[in-house]
Amino acid sequence: MIIMDVVYVAWRELLKFFRARVRLLVTVIQPLIWLGLMGNMMQGLTQNPFIERLLGTTSYLAFMTPGIILMTVLFGGVFSGLSIVWDRRIGYLEKLLAAPISRAAIPLGKMVASAIQGGFQGLLILLIALGLGVRFSTGLAGVLFALLVAMTFSLILSGFSLTLASRIKSQETLMALVNFFTMPLMFTSNALFPREAMPAWLSAIAQINLVTHAVTPIRQVLLFGWDWSSMWVSLVVIGGLALLMAFLAGQSFLRATAE
Amino acid sequence: MEAVRVENLVKIYHGGIRAVDGVSFTINEEEIFGFLGPNGAGKSTTIKCIIGLVRPTAGRIWIFGVDVERDPGVVKRSIGYAAQETAVDDQLTGWENLYLQGRFHHLSPKEIRARGEEVLRLFGLWERRNDLAQTYSGGMLKRLDIACALIHRPRILFLDEPTLGLDVQTRKAIWDYIRKLRDEHKMTIFLTTHYMEEADELSDRVAIIDHGKILALDKPGALKAALGGDLITLKFASQDERLPALLSAIRALPGVRDLRSSPDGIHWIWVEQRGDQLIPELVQLALSYGIQVDSVRLKRPTLDDVYLHYTGREIREAEASREEHVRARILQRRVRR
Repeated sequence: MIIMDVVYVAWRELLKFFRARVRLLVTVIQPLIWLGLMGNMMQGLTQNPFIERLLGTTSYLAFMTPGIILMTVLFGGVFSGLSIVWDRRIGYLEKLLAAPISRAAIPLGKMVASAIQGGFQGLLILLIALGLGVRFSTGLAGVLFALLVAMTFSLILSGFSLTLASRIKSQETLMALVNFFTMPLMFTSNALFPREAMPAWLSAIAQINLVTHAVTPIRQVLLFGWDWSSMWVSLVVIGGLALLMAFLAGQSFLRATAE
Repeated sequence: MEAVRVENLVKIYHGGIRAVDGVSFTINEEEIFGFLGPNGAGKSTTIKCIIGLVRPTAGRIWIFGVDVERDPGVVKRSIGYAAQETAVDDQLTGWENLYLQGRFHHLSPKEIRARGEEVLRLFGLWERRNDLAQTYSGGMLKRLDIACALIHRPRILFLDEPTLGLDVQTRKAIWDYIRKLRDEHKMTIFLTTHYMEEADELSDRVAIIDHGKILALDKPGALKAALGGDLITLKFASQDERLPALLSAIRALPGVRDLRSSPDGIHWIWVEQRGDQLIPELVQLALSYGIQVDSVRLKRPTLDDVYLHYTGREIREAEASREEHVRARILQRRVRR
């Protein structure tokens, strides 16, 4: 029964996600701008053997594509908690709680919805990258794997956001708080710049940054090929974090609604 | 059979606020039971305890004989709840709102289709079912909200301030729907309100609640009668030396309980009942003493009077002391979580 509860909580979120045309459009345009402008802008700068060695590829566009996927997923997933704050404000949450639905299904359903949104956005960005001439070394299987990683990453962030949202009851505070985390997370990772080009202290932070752990396997698979020995640590880290965040989001929600 | 039994319900929130302070009552099947009280009186908290949204500090609650704390799952299937806020997702259509609510109550798609059409037709929303709820009027949203609470055929419906903020026509329409649910669909209805008129119009029995305690509980008619009948206000056209004799004659009339006069010539006469029939008699009597009646007014007690009699104040926000105001605010916030 809890699975069906999760499915319908998620279904509601997705229905609204795909209905908000403007927002959908923005999620397409934004990566287009990043890839089209920044990707091409950096292209000239990165076309020298030294940087190509750091990037591991001749195309900065291809290098940054995994980073842009995760950036989009990061900024989307982290606002997942807002929906719970909103539901609480309009009284919808209470209506859910009065129904015989499993309570844990509420945060879990929102996490699942966020993951599916993340996968969808990731797919759009990959298609845009394809259109801009990026080629994926492992083909369709690699694309599916990359999307799976992006979705797992989305679970972590929405779980984090929902954990906070169970306690923080104002949208403004929640937004300020998650924004406080997202920017540093992004720029202390290897999403847009290779770790090899960073100063040692930053590289050390990047090494433990969860964004790096999500970027690494996607980049590996899309640019270079299957190499499990270089990916497994990152996969374990993000898989484990996703489970942990699902647990925390559930716990935090149950505690906040037990009065 | 008893639909609801509440025994000594107490709810103390963090910070020591006693929202509900030893409330006991029963609701009979197919009864419309009204909970009347000012803001912050403990109405919403009582409802939320009954339907299992808030855990009581003390006391026990049964719904159709099932203990709410022991078997919340069973209880949730037999109750429908429409909160004070209209909890409709306005980015979804009317039908989607209803459908999801059905799924959250674990109904099959087939059940939802059959029952959904029935309730949407009942509430006059069938034609608009595929429109986004954000295009609905306030009254339609409230109707949709109540329709959602009915999708799983509950035996008892809890309505927290169902007509708050609606205009007079819409409010009357909602009343008709509520009556229809009871009369044609044999539902038990528990409603809270701070509109006297609403409690009077709809409820079979009314409980007046303030500061978390039930102050009075009876049929609206009986509550009014207990306040002591009709009041006739009388003014004579002339001051006469025969006036004292007339007044003692009035006092002697059957049914007259009391008579008081003000120095400026206004006389108040309390009668047990049927004040309207006493008026011609009073006029006749006055004429027989040669005194003209200038004006006469009859006032029957309303539930307002009952309410004011028990709570001793009008709408809390208007003239509340600061302390009470703060208490009400905290309560509302607590209740909303």
